[in-house]
Amino acid sequence: MKINRRKFLNSILGIGGIGGILSIFYPIVSYLIPPKMAEPKVNSVKAGSTSDFAANSYKIVKFGRKPVILIKTVDNQYKALSASCTHLDCIVQYKSDTKQIWCACHNGIYDLNGRNISGPPPRPLEQYDVKIVKDEIVITKMG
Amino acid sequence: MRTRVFYLSTTVLLTIFLFGFAFQKTDNKTKQTPKVDNCLSCHKDIDDMPQGYSDYDVHRQAGLTCASCHGGDPSSTDQEAAMSPAKGYAGVPKRKDIPKFCGKCHSNIDYMRIYQPRIATDQVTQYYTSMHGKKLMAGDENVAECASCHTAHSIFPVKDPRATVYKLNIPSTCNKCHGNSELMKKYNLPSNQLEEYSKSVHGIALLKQNDLGAPACNDCHGNHGAMPPGITSISHVCGMCHSSNMEYFNATKMAKAFAEQDFHGCEQCHGNHGVQKPTDDMVGVGKNSKCVDCHDKGDVGYVAAEKIEAEIVQLKNNYDAATNKFLEVREKGMNDVDIGFLLQDAKQNLIQSRTLVHTFDPAKVVVKTKDGMNITNKAIMLSDKEISEYYTRRNGFAAATLAFLVIVIALYLKIKDKEKRKQA
Ligand code: FES
Repeated sequence: MKINRRKFLNSILGIGGIGGILSIFYPIVSYLIPPKMAEPKVNSVKAGSTSDFAANSYKIVKFGRKPVILIKTVDNQYKALSASCTHLDCIVQYKSDTKQIWCACHNGIYDLNGRNISGPPPRPLEQYDVKIVKDEIVITKMG
Repeated sequence: MRTRVFYLSTTVLLTIFLFGFAFQKTDNKTKQTPKVDNCLSCHKDIDDMPQGYSDYDVHRQAGLTCASCHGGDPSSTDQEAAMSPAKGYAGVPKRKDIPKFCGKCHSNIDYMRIYQPRIATDQVTQYYTSMHGKKLMAGDENVAECASCHTAHSIFPVKDPRATVYKLNIPSTCNKCHGNSELMKKYNLPSNQLEEYSKSVHGIALLKQNDLGAPACNDCHGNHGAMPPGITSISHVCGMCHSSNMEYFNATKMAKAFAEQDFHGCEQCHGNHGVQKPTDDMVGVGKNSKCVDCHDKGDVGYVAAEKIEAEIVQLKNNYDAATNKFLEVREKGMNDVDIGFLLQDAKQNLIQSRTLVHTFDPAKVVVKTKDGMNITNKAIMLSDKEISEYYTRRNGFAAATLAFLVIVIALYLKIKDKEKRKQA
């Protein structure tokens, strides 16, 4: 009976020990191999290579929690601006025919520097810096 | 000693400079305002100032005097001489003459350019094409002229919040006359426009949310050339902001049918001054549907309306479900960034699907709602993953606590066991 009790205690201790070790190591391993997490606060993002971006076109890039519109102008310049319309937050787009930024929600128009030039938007779009690092487009916060 | 001399001379020079500057300022001022303006001083003395007079009036601030508009000789202290027609005194203009009275300067680009190089000078010309202008010309003195909207003696630039024509003040300025039911009865016009407008989506945006992008009366009716928007122009007026809706609508067969039936474009379904935020059941065949006003059960339009509503409602419900899950993820402190992006996309799709209603073509709407459904489904899937991750972590934590508890108890018993054996 005594031996049984000892055995029982030992096995409980063993199981508890393994559990304890797992509880210590699992978080360590998870920390070393983190799940895919988007960084909510970022200061710069890569936006692809210059070669797969045609002139006079645009794309919407995630910049932390904010959408940014990246435009390659007809003369191959890059412009990055906040893509949230300053009127009611619709996502703006680049019109390749008029070479302007357009908000389809209420016909708000911005120029390529983000200045609100017609329609309801009350403020310009926030500007971002664009740098080209070894053929890669990098968008960074201004200032 | 040297330092002292330096400080002293600097102080003296600075004082001279500041004095010079101050004198120069006064000089400029005297140049702008004439030395003697007996009209103003006498009228102030005898307390006979025009109603609503303000020293901050734009004309006064620009250095104009009473005589600049009313004529006369402000340098004379003799009332008769100062106000003699020989000196150009015109007195208070008659209502019907006011547009020309203001137009003396405001229609003269050479003169106006001195004050504001970019100012428009076609206000009077426009005014005479307006309903107000036409009626005034025809001898109706009840209609609005320049001063009715701008006031006579407390005029401020249009961007100045004190101005009666500042965007936020326009509805109440127009309402001074248009809200007067007695006056409006004469013209067979309603007088509840402001009441309706204040409850409309535009009125709430402008008057409650101070959204200066929202239209006030003049954005649809014009200002100096104010007119009720005609049947042909109505969709253009709305289309100034709602451009895609206008483009889609004008390309449909329905636009032609509307014109043939003398229907009022956008207004036919959305109303005018009281326009509300559209709801999804305005299409479809339910009791709030506008489509069933003309379409009967079984006809092509009826079927299309039913399909369009079903598609949009399905997307809206899925979008709401995804939003709720997103909020749950956020509340649990899990990673919501990607889901937030998907929802932004889904919202764009929902807006675009609703705009595409104006094509009255279910196939075009379906393209967008399908995209929207895919995006919202993805958002729901991601949210579920995050939520289950949250529970995995929580359960894991509970299991770890349990494991440690078991170790502690087992250790305690083990020690006790050992002690017992030792004693034995
Ligand atoms: S949301 Fe962009 S113009 Fe209204």
